[in-house]
Amino acid sequence: MAYVIGVDVGGTFTDAVLDDDAGTVLAAKSPSTPPDYSRGVLDVLGLLAEQLGRTLPEMLADTHHIAHGTTSSLNALVTGDVPPVGFLTTKGHRDSIYIMNVEGRYLGRSPHELQHVLGQAKDHSLLPKRHALEVTERIDRDGTVVVALDEDEARAAIRALLADGVKAIAVSLLWSFRNPVHERRLRELIAEEAPDLFVALSSEVSPRIREFARNATTIMSTQIGPGLRDYLGTLESSLRDNGLTGPLLVMQSNGGAVAAAQAPATAISTVGSVLTGGVVGSVALGRQLGHRDIISTDVGGTTFLAGLIVDGEPVRDTTTVINHHPINVPTLHVDAIGSGGGAIAWLDAGGNLRIGPRSAQAVPGPACYGNGGTEPTNTDANLVLGILPERGLLGGRKPLSLDLARQAIDTQIAKPLGLTVEEAAAAIYTVQNAQTGDLLRKTVVEAGHDPRDFVLYAFGGAGPAHCAGYAAEVGCDEVVVPLGPVASAFSAFGLASSDIVLAAELSDPTVVPFDPQRAERNFADLEKRVRDGLERQGVTFETVELFREVDMRYSMQLAEVTAPVADGPLDVAAIEDAAAAFEARYAELFGKDAGFREAGIQAITFRVRGVGVLPFSPKLPEIPPAESDATPTTTRPVQLDARLGYVDTPIYDYRELRAGHVLTGPAIVEVPTTTVVVPGGTTGTVDHLGNLTIRRSA
Amino acid sequence: MTMPIPGSEAFSSRPVDPSELARSLPSSLPVHSVTQEQVDALDPLTYEVVRHRLWSVTDEMGEALKRMSGSPIVTDANDFDFAISDELGQEVQVGLYNTMLVGAVDLAIYWTLRNRAVNPGIEAGDMFLTNDPWVGGGLHQNDVMVYQPVFHDGKLFAWTSAIAHQPDLGGVGLGSFSPAAQDVFSESLPTPPVKVVRGGQLQRDVADLWVRRSRVPMLIGLDLRAKIGANNVGAERLHALIAQYGPDTVKAVMKRMMSDAESRLRAKLTALPDGSWSATGYQDQSHEGDRNLHKITVTTTKSGDHLSFDFTGTDPQAGVINCTYAGMRGGVMLALLPILAGDIPWSAGGLMRCFDLVTEEGTINNATFPAAVGRGPIGPAWLTGSLVAECLAQMLDRDLELGRNVQATCCGTWDTAVIAGLDERGEQPAPFLNIIMEPMAGGYGARPHADGIDTGGLFCIPMGRVPDVEMTEFLYPVLTLWRREEPDSGGPGRHRGGLGASVAITPHGTSVPMGLVLASAGKAVAQNAGLSGGHPGNSGLDVVARRSRVAELLAAGRMPSDLAEISDTLEPGQNYASSYLAPGEVFAMTWQGGGGYGDPLTRDPAAVARDLREQKITAAGARAVYGVVANGTEIDDAATAAERDSRRTQRRDRSRLLGETRGRADLAAARRLDDNLVEVGDGTVACRHCSETLGDNEEPLALALYEGPPTEAGPQIIATAADYVDAPVVFRQYCCPSCWTALYSAVVPADHQDTVATLGRLTAV
Repeated sequence: MAYVIGVDVGGTFTDAVLDDDAGTVLAAKSPSTPPDYSRGVLDVLGLLAEQLGRTLPEMLADTHHIAHGTTSSLNALVTGDVPPVGFLTTKGHRDSIYIMNVEGRYLGRSPHELQHVLGQAKDHSLLPKRHALEVTERIDRDGTVVVALDEDEARAAIRALLADGVKAIAVSLLWSFRNPVHERRLRELIAEEAPDLFVALSSEVSPRIREFARNATTIMSTQIGPGLRDYLGTLESSLRDNGLTGPLLVMQSNGGAVAAAQAPATAISTVGSVLTGGVVGSVALGRQLGHRDIISTDVGGTTFLAGLIVDGEPVRDTTTVINHHPINVPTLHVDAIGSGGGAIAWLDAGGNLRIGPRSAQAVPGPACYGNGGTEPTNTDANLVLGILPERGLLGGRKPLSLDLARQAIDTQIAKPLGLTVEEAAAAIYTVQNAQTGDLLRKTVVEAGHDPRDFVLYAFGGAGPAHCAGYAAEVGCDEVVVPLGPVASAFSAFGLASSDIVLAAELSDPTVVPFDPQRAERNFADLEKRVRDGLERQGVTFETVELFREVDMRYSMQLAEVTAPVADGPLDVAAIEDAAAAFEARYAELFGKDAGFREAGIQAITFRVRGVGVLPFSPKLPEIPPAESDATPTTTRPVQLDARLGYVDTPIYDYRELRAGHVLTGPAIVEVPTTTVVVPGGTTGTVDHLGNLTIRRSA
Repeated sequence: MTMPIPGSEAFSSRPVDPSELARSLPSSLPVHSVTQEQVDALDPLTYEVVRHRLWSVTDEMGEALKRMSGSPIVTDANDFDFAISDELGQEVQVGLYNTMLVGAVDLAIYWTLRNRAVNPGIEAGDMFLTNDPWVGGGLHQNDVMVYQPVFHDGKLFAWTSAIAHQPDLGGVGLGSFSPAAQDVFSESLPTPPVKVVRGGQLQRDVADLWVRRSRVPMLIGLDLRAKIGANNVGAERLHALIAQYGPDTVKAVMKRMMSDAESRLRAKLTALPDGSWSATGYQDQSHEGDRNLHKITVTTTKSGDHLSFDFTGTDPQAGVINCTYAGMRGGVMLALLPILAGDIPWSAGGLMRCFDLVTEEGTINNATFPAAVGRGPIGPAWLTGSLVAECLAQMLDRDLELGRNVQATCCGTWDTAVIAGLDERGEQPAPFLNIIMEPMAGGYGARPHADGIDTGGLFCIPMGRVPDVEMTEFLYPVLTLWRREEPDSGGPGRHRGGLGASVAITPHGTSVPMGLVLASAGKAVAQNAGLSGGHPGNSGLDVVARRSRVAELLAAGRMPSDLAEISDTLEPGQNYASSYLAPGEVFAMTWQGGGGYGDPLTRDPAAVARDLREQKITAAGARAVYGVVANGTEIDDAATAAERDSRRTQRRDRSRLLGETRGRADLAAARRLDDNLVEVGDGTVACRHCSETLGDNEEPLALALYEGPPTEAGPQIIATAADYVDAPVVFRQYCCPSCWTALYSAVVPADHQDTVATLGRLTAV
C-alpha cells in the first residue's frame, strides 16, 4: 500500500486529500494554525490517518510523497510581514524599484480602482532606501564589462546593510543575465562578511531582461526565502519524526511541485501555489472525463478565481503581479476576477445597483451569518431566493438568519429602489451572474479563445449556486460541478495529482533569424540545469519530459508571446518553425493580420520546462449506479428567474444521488459543502464519478 | 501669427444640440432612438446588466486596439483611447487611457453627421478615418481616429471609435513634429473624415493615400488595421447585446448611463457654493528661436449645477504651441474626469452637458486654421487641463469630503526628446529613431491629506508607463548612466508634491553623432503650481554635456552621477531645438514633479524626517524650504522651532503690506476656504492659524507680498529663466500679515495677474 497526499494550507482551513494505488480517495479539513502552519498540517494528516483506521506514523511510513501548497509566503508579502532584507544594485539605477516604471501605481488594480486615479498611490514600497544600496559597476547589453565592480565600495555597502540588521541580501545588477560575473563576485564578498546569510542573485532567480521586474522578483524572493526555509524545515522534521520517509514536495505557481529542500532558493516560484491547485485538479479530472478545454472557476467567500485549460494543458503566463509589482514567475494563468459569495450589493451615488468588488470578508461575513454584517451579499440574496436553506449548508454547523438577510437587502437595496425584498434579491442574483459572465469572457477572450468551445468547471463553496447562470452568459453549454469525495478539497486533490515541474530561463535578446547554434547552446545549458535540478529532488520519476520554448515579439510591439521550440540540435528550419509558431499564436491572441513581420521578430527569453512524471496519478473512484429515479428530499419555493417568481422546486440531498441520476431543472442539490443550482431549462446528470453535469435540456 | 484662411471654418466642429442635429439629418439616414419614457421604465436589474456589458464591450475594443497596434506610443505609453457613442455621437462609455481624447471624439462624429450624411452617405459597413484636429477625434494630426456607424434594422444605432497616436504621418519634421513650424503646412496634412472602409471592405485607394504620407508606412498600415479590428470587435459585441436584450433596451441603457453621469455630477456641483475661480499659466517659448511667454487664462464659474470655463484673455496663437477647440475641450476633460468624476462612470456624453466653454477664436487653445498644432496636446491642451484642475481644486477645497479630490498641479508637460542616428552594434549598421520615454514618470501634485505620488506618471494618461533601461539599451545604442528620482524636485508644502526624475544617456555602440530634437515647457515659469501656499514643483532642465569626460571616467572605473563630474561645458537645451549628441557626450533630462500643498513651514517635522530617510529631500532642502534642522535623519526640535520662527521673521522683514487687517475673529462658526483661510459669516475672511481678519467681500484681502528671484522658491528651481525667455520671472509669495503663514507661493512672470487678493470671495453669479 502506498499513499500520495496533497495538503493545501489556506488562510482559514488546511485541506488534505489522500489517495492510494487501490482506488481509495479520502479528504479531510482542519483549521489552519497561523503563525505556525505546520501544526495544522499535522492535524489534518491525523484526520486522514483516523479515516484510514491507522496511526499517523503508520500512514506516513506508507506515504510515497506529500505535495504541499501554502499561502503563507504570499500572505507574508501581501501583509508586509517579512524580515528586513538588503538590496545591492548598479550605481545610478537604485530607483528602478521606486519609479516602478510608473505602472506600480495601477498594476493589478480593478477597473473600478483604475478609473479613480486620485485614489491611487504607490503604496507597496519593497524596501526602505537605506536598505537599497548602489555599487559602482556596469555591464552593457552585449555582456561586456564597461566599468569593473568596485569591491571596496561593495564591501562597505555590505557592511552597512549587515550593521543595519538585514536578514538576507538580494543582488540584482543591470544585464546580469548576460554576464553574471559581478553578481557572483558580490555573493563571494557577502559570504566573506556573513557566511550563512541568505543571498539571492537575479541572474539565478530570474535571468530575464527588464530590470524592474527582475529586481522586484529577486527582492521578494529574498524576503520570503528565509521564512520558507524555516517553515519547511520545521514541517519536514516533524513529518520525519512522525515516520515520513518519502519526499515532501512544495507546489509552485507553474502547476508543478519541487522538493522542499530546493524551494527556498527560488522561494518566489511557490507564491502562487494555492491559486493553481484548482487548475491542476481540473486537468486531472478533465483527463478522467475526457475534457480537454476547460474554464476552471473556484469561488470562495471572498475570491473568484478563473483558470483556463486548452487542449489538456493549463494556459501559462510568464509573469504575475504581486503588490502592484510585475513578478517573473512562470505561472498557471489564474485571474482573480471578482469577490465570491461575500461580494456586497450596494447602490452607487446615482442609485444604481452594484455588486462588489468589496466583500464582506470572513468577518463579519454576509448579514445572514449573524456576525454583525449589515450589508447585503450574494449569499444573503441566495437565502432570500430559497437557493440556500435557512438551516445552512448540510455540513455546516450554523443556521442562517433569513430575517437578517431580508433586513439587509430591504434597507440597503429594496427600499431605495422601490422594489420588494424578493425582487431586489432576484436582481442581485441576476446581476451577479451576468457580470461574472462578462469578466469570465474577458479572461477567455484575452487569452485568445472563444468561451463557447469550453466546458466550465465550478467548485468552491459559492460557485455551484451561480455556475449555470454565468456559464450561460458566456455561452458554455456544459458545466461540471466536481462533487464526490474531494468536493470540499478540490485544490488539495490538484496538489495530490501534480508532477514535479522545474523551469529554467535565460534572456538572450536577439533578432530572428538568429544563429541556431547560439540557441542550441542556450537550450543545452538550460536543459542541463533542469535535469540536474530534477535529480536533486530525491524522487524517482516514471519519465522526464523536457519542453523548450522561447518568448518572442514583433520588434515594434510590446506583447511577448511564448512559442514552443523543437528538440535539438536546432537548425535554421527549426528557428523558422519557432517563429511561425509565434506568429500563429500571436494571431490567435491578437487577431489575424495583427502581426507586423516586416518590422522583424525578436527572440527575448529562452526557457526549458522539465516535468518529472510521478508514478502516481490519482483517479476519483466510481460511485454506485442508480437503481431508481432520483427522489427529492423535499421541495421549497425558490426564485431563479425573476420573470417566473417563486416556483416550488425539488431539493435533492447529494448523499442520496447515484451515478446516472438525472435531475430536471429547476432543482437544487444540497451538498455538505455547497449548494448546486440546476436552473429551469437545464438538466443535471450525476456521472460515474459523482460529479454533477449541467446541460441545456434537449 | 497666421492669417485665417477663408473656407477653412467649415472644418471647425463645435458641440451641438442633439435634437437639432437629429432634425438636420436627411431621411436617407434614419436613426434609432428611444423616448424618455422608455429610459425611465428601465428596471434596475436590466440597467446594471446591460451597463456592465457595455463596459465590457468597450474594454474589449481597447484590448484589441492596444494589442494590435505597432506603435510604442500606444503599447508602452498608452497614448490612445476608444469609445462607444449613441446614434448622434454622444459618448456613452470611454476608455481609461488618454483622457484628453474624450473631449474630441464626439466633435468628429457630429461633424461627420453634418457633412457626410448626404454625400458620400453614412451606411452600414462603413468606417471613417480622420486626423483633422479642427474636425475633432484627436488633438493633433498624429492622433488618428477610425470610427464606424453601427446600424440595426437599417437605422443608425450607435458609433464605435478607436483613436491612437501614430509615430509619423509626414510633414517636414521627424515624427511629424517640427519645432520651427510657423503653420500647419509644415506639419502633417490634416485629413477630414474619409470613408476608409465601405461595405466592410478596406478601400485600397484611400488606405494607400493614407499610408503614403508617412516615413513608416508599414507601421501606419498596421495601426490602421488595428483600429479597424477594434471597431469590428465593438460592432460584433454590440450586435450580440442588441440581439439578447433588444435595441430599445440597449439604447435606453445608453441614454440613461449618460443622464445618470450627468445628474450625479450636477448633484455634486449643487452641493458646492457658487463662485468663480481663476488660474493663469504659460508656455515658455512657442517654437525654435522664440523667447516669449504665452499665456492661457481661465475663469471657472460654478453656478448651481453648472460650470462655465471662460478663457477670454488667452494669448493669440503662436508657433507650434496651439491646439484647436477640441484640444481645449480635451484639456478640460483631463481635469474634470478624475477630479469630479473619479467615482462616476465615465459616460462622457452626460458629463460634458454640465459645462460650457467661452473662448476667443485665434488663441493658443482655440487656434484657427492654419496654425501649427503639433504640440497641441502636450502644450496648450495640457496647460488648459492644469489650469482647470487648479480652479476645481480651489472650488473643492472648501468641502472636506470633496476636498479629497483636490490636488496641486501635476507635472505639466511631457518633456520630449527624440534621438535618431545609426546603430552600429549589429553586423550591419541600422538607422534608429527613439522618443525618450522616461519623462512620462512625472510627479503628481500634493493633496490636502497626502503627499503627491512620486514619479506617479502623467495625469492625462493615467495608464502610461516607462520602459526598462535594459529594453531601451537593447533597442538603441545608448548607455543610461542614471535614471533616478530627483530629491527636492517635489513642490515644497505642508504636503509635498510628488518627485520628478532625471535620466542621463551617452551614445554607446555608434560612432556618429545622433540627431536630437527637443520640445518642452516649464523651464522658465513653473507649470506645476502649488496650492494654498504650497510651492511649485521643480523646473524642468535638459542639458547636453559637450566636451565631456564620460569616456575617461568609465575607463577609469567610475560611474559619474552628476553633470559637474562629467563636463564643464553644460549647454541648456532650449524648449524647442534641433541639436545633436555626439559619441562621448552626455544628454541629461530632468522633468517636473508635482506642486506642493500648504505652507512648507507647517509640514510635520516627522514627515520631513521620513522624507530625509527616504531621500525624497536633501538636508539642505529640509532647512531651506521646510525650516527643519536635522542631524542625519534625526530632527533637532529646538533648532527647528527656532529656524521656523526666523523664517517667519524673514517673511515679515522682506514683505510689503497690502491693506490693513482687522483684528481677531471668532472662528467657532468658521467655514473652510482652503488650508489657511476660513470664512466667518457674511464674506469675512480670516486666517485659520491666527484668527486674524484679513478682509471681506468688498475690499481686496489685507496680505503681505514678497517678490524675489525664482530660486527663493526652493532648490527645485534648477533652470535659469533668462536662458529661455526675455521677460522677468519672480518668486511671488503672499503671507498672512499676522502669523506669516504662506497663503500663495508661485514662480511666475513679473507681470502675472494673480487673484490672491480676492481669494475666498464668493462671487454671486
